[in-house]
Amino acid sequence: MSITEHDIVIIGAGVAGLTAGALLAERGFKVALVTKGEPTACLSTGCVDVCSHDGNPLQSIKNLPPEHPYHLVDKRMIRESLNYFQTAMTDMGVPYKGSPEQNRLIMSALGTFKTSCLVPSTMEAAPQDDQESLHIITFQGLKDFYPGYIVSRRNHTKFSVFDAGMTTTMSLASRFEEKDFFEKFIAWMGTLDIREDKIAFPAVLGLESADKIVGTIAKVTGKPVFEIPTIPPSMPGRRLFNALKGFFRKKGGDIYWSWPVTGIEKTGDIIEAVTTPSEGRPNSINGKAFILSSGSFVGGGLTATRQSIMENVFHFPVHVPGPRETWFDNDYFSMNHGIGRVGIVTDASLRPADTPFKNIFVCGGILAETEILKNGCGHGLALATAHLAAKSCVEYLVP
Amino acid sequence: MIKTDVIIIGGGATGCGIARDLALRGIPHCLVEKGHFAAGATGACHGLLHSGGRYAVTDPVAARECYEENLILRKIGKKCVEQTGGLFVRLPGDSKRFRELFLRGCENVGIPAEVISSTRALDLVPNLNPELEEAIRVPDCSIDPFRLCLLNIRTSEQCGGIILTRHKATEIIQSHGRCVGIKATDQTNGEIKEIQGKIIINATGAWADMVATLAGSEVPMSLVKGALVITNHRLTNMVINRLRHPSDGDIIVPNEAVCLAGTTALAIQDPDHLVIESPEVDTIISEAGRMIPHFNNTRIIRAFSGVRPLLKSKKADSHEMSRGFQIIDHENGMYSIAGGKLTTFRLMAEKMVDTIIASFGLRKPCETAEIPLDGQEELSGYPLSKRLADMKNIVCECELVTRQEVQRIVRQTGTRHVGDIQHRARLGMGPCQGGFCTFRALGIMNDMSVISPEQSMDMLRGFLQRRYKGIRYALWGDQLREEQLVEYIYLGILAMEKSK
Repeated sequence: MSITEHDIVIIGAGVAGLTAGALLAERGFKVALVTKGEPTACLSTGCVDVCSHDGNPLQSIKNLPPEHPYHLVDKRMIRESLNYFQTAMTDMGVPYKGSPEQNRLIMSALGTFKTSCLVPSTMEAAPQDDQESLHIITFQGLKDFYPGYIVSRRNHTKFSVFDAGMTTTMSLASRFEEKDFFEKFIAWMGTLDIREDKIAFPAVLGLESADKIVGTIAKVTGKPVFEIPTIPPSMPGRRLFNALKGFFRKKGGDIYWSWPVTGIEKTGDIIEAVTTPSEGRPNSINGKAFILSSGSFVGGGLTATRQSIMENVFHFPVHVPGPRETWFDNDYFSMNHGIGRVGIVTDASLRPADTPFKNIFVCGGILAETEILKNGCGHGLALATAHLAAKSCVEYLVP
Repeated sequence: MIKTDVIIIGGGATGCGIARDLALRGIPHCLVEKGHFAAGATGACHGLLHSGGRYAVTDPVAARECYEENLILRKIGKKCVEQTGGLFVRLPGDSKRFRELFLRGCENVGIPAEVISSTRALDLVPNLNPELEEAIRVPDCSIDPFRLCLLNIRTSEQCGGIILTRHKATEIIQSHGRCVGIKATDQTNGEIKEIQGKIIINATGAWADMVATLAGSEVPMSLVKGALVITNHRLTNMVINRLRHPSDGDIIVPNEAVCLAGTTALAIQDPDHLVIESPEVDTIISEAGRMIPHFNNTRIIRAFSGVRPLLKSKKADSHEMSRGFQIIDHENGMYSIAGGKLTTFRLMAEKMVDTIIASFGLRKPCETAEIPLDGQEELSGYPLSKRLADMKNIVCECELVTRQEVQRIVRQTGTRHVGDIQHRARLGMGPCQGGFCTFRALGIMNDMSVISPEQSMDMLRGFLQRRYKGIRYALWGDQLREEQLVEYIYLGILAMEKSK
C-alpha cells in the first residue's frame, strides 16, 4: 500500500470541498482533496444562489424551516463566506457581481427569469424586467440554445446567427479563446446594425477569458452584453469550477483526481485514512481530520436503491423522510419532493449525527433538509457550510 | 360539417386497423381519437406479437387467433415486427404438469413448440437464469405498436380517410333512435366539429362503455390494469415467458434498444386515473429477475400501465379471463368492438368491417391479410450508420435523432406535437426519457415558427408531467440521479414556471 500523509483529507471537489480546502490550506495545513471526477458545479449556471425566497437572501434564510442546515452557520459567517468567494474569484480572473443583501435576476434560455445572488460578471447586465429590448446572438446549429423561446416572449427582441462551424457549447467556448477566431467574430459583429438596448449570448464566450471577452464585445458595440446560461455542459459552471480549483491549488492544496474513495481505516472513534484503488496497489491517504463534501445523488455522495438510501464513502446514517413512495410528490412542479430533504444530519459543528467519529465534518449538498431547488440555495449553502466545516476542523486540530 | 359513411371512435390498433380495412374496401370513413394514436392499451403493453403459446392452455380460441395473426403480421408488417422467437422457460419448482398441458395445447392449436435443453437455451439467451430446467421455443415476436398504428392510418389517409387526432367524441347525435353522427371536441382549442355518418364504430378499448353511454347503450366490461417496466438496454434478443399459469411479471420482450417486462393485474374503475404501486414494480422486477437474474440490478427507465379492455366474465382471476373479442350490435347504428389483443387487431378489424359491409349490402372481401403495410421502408429507412455519420447534428443522444430528422417530420406530417416526433423517431425514448432532447425538439419547432411560445411552454410542461408520471415509479439508482439532474435543468437552470 502506498501511503500519503496529510493534516486534512477532503472528499469531493465541488464548491464546498474546494472552498473548505482553500481556507484550511491558507491556514497552513497540509490538505489533500480526493475526487472521483468533476463536480456538479460544472453542470450548474455558475451563479451563487444563496436563498431565493425574497429580495434579501440573508433575510430569507431566517424563514427557512428550523432543521435547515443554514441555521447552523451564523449570519456573519454566511456573509463572510460570500465575500471570501467574491475576493477569491476576482483574484482568479472570474469576477462575480452582486451583494449578499440583494437577490438579482438572470435570464434563462427559455426567456424566463431565475433568482440568484452572486452572478458571474458576464451575466451582470441581464435585464431585471421585460422592458429592455434585446438582440440575441446565436450560433448556427447550436444544440442547446434556441432564440425562438426568448424572442417569442419578449417584445422588440431580434436575433442574428453566426456560423462558427460548431454545434456544442464546449467547442464554441474553446474557439472563443482563439485570437484569430475572436477577431473574425468581432469583425462580423461590426456588420450588424444593432438597435436594441442590450446584446445577449448563450454562455459560450470563452473558457477562461469570458469576463474579458464580454468586456471587449461591449466596448466594440457600445451596448451592455450578457450571457444566458445553457443546459449542461454549462460553461459558466465550468469556469466556476476551474477558478475554484485553481484557487485551492494556489493556496497549496493537493488534488487527487479520479480517485474514488472505496474504503476507510479507523481506530475507535477516529478515522485515520481513506483508501482508493489504483493500478497495482491501493493508495491510502492518511489524515488527522476529514471533510465529507461528496454531494448528493447527482454528485455521487448518496445512492438510492429500491429499499434504502446510502452514503457512499463512510456508510453514515442517512436521514430519509419516509419509504420510497414518499420520495417524490405526485406533482412534478410542486418542488415538495421528499427526496430534497434526504442527507446527513449533523451536530452544530457539522459532525455527522449517530456516528462515533470525532474527526470528520460534513458540508455542502450532502447535508439533510437542504431542499436546494425549492429554496434556491445551492452554492450559497455550500460556501457557508464549507466555512463552518473548516472552522470545526481547525478547532478540532488546534484545541 | 363532415359527411362520411363510417365513423370510427378510437385510434388504437383496432380503430387504425378498421380504418385501413375500410380504406382497402373503398368505404369512406372518419377516425376520431381523443389523444394520439396508440395512446391507450395499444401503446401501453409489452409490444408482444403472441405466438399464441401464452393462451394455449387457458384459452385455445384466443391462442389459435393469435397464431394465425402472428403469421399474417410477420408477412405484411416486416418492418414493424422483429422476428425474435420466444422461449417459455421452466425454472426449478415450476410445475411439470403445466409443461405437459402447454405442449398438448400448442399441438392442438398448431403452434410450433420445440422443447430445448437448458444448455441450448443459454446459448440462445446467455442472460437466462442458469438454473433453468428446460425451455420451449415458440414463434413469439416483438412488434412496434406505434409504427403499426401509423402505417395502418397511412393507408386510410391515402384513400381519403379523414383522421382527427386530439378530438374527443363528446356527443353521439341520434335521430329516431338511430345514431347519425357525432360531435367531436378539438382538445387543443375546444372547437366542436360535427361529423355525420351511417354507422358508428366504438373501438375505444377501456373507454368503450363510456362512449356507448353517449348513445344510451352499454358495454359490460372488466377493466384490469397491468403495469410494465422498461429497462435501459436489451437483456435478451428473444421474448422470454415463464412456463406456468399466466401470472404477474412473467413476460420479457426485447424492443429496439430496450426490454419491456410485466405485467400485473389489478381491477380498476376509471381508465383515466391509473396509478402504479411500488409493490407492483417490485413484483415485476423480482419475477423477471427469476428468468433473467440481471434484471435485478439493471437500470429501469420507466414504469407504465395500461388497461386491458376485457369483456365481463365470471372468472375471478383476470389473468385467466378470455382474451377473445366480441362485436356488439347496439341495434341503433352503433357497434362496439371490445376485448381482444394487440396481436389480433387485424382480425378484429376484418370481422368488424365484414359486419358493416353486410349491413350495407356490399360484398367486397377483406384484403388486409394479403397486402403488406404501405410505407414501411420510409419509416425505418434511417439506419444507425447514417445517424452516426452526422454526430454534429444529433439532438437526442440516447436514440441518435438528428435536427434534420426532427425538421423533416415536422414538415412532412405537419405535426405540432412533440409526442408525434417521439413515436416516429423514438426521440426521448432512451435512458434520459427526453430530459435533454425535448427542450431541443421544441426549440427547433419554435425556431421553425410552427408553434407559439405559449404552445411550446405548455407542451414542455405537459411533457414533463407525463414523463414524470412514468418515471416516478422507477426512481432509484442511476435513474434517480438522472431525474434529479433533469429536474435541476428544467426547474433550476431553465427556471420553468408552473402553469399560471
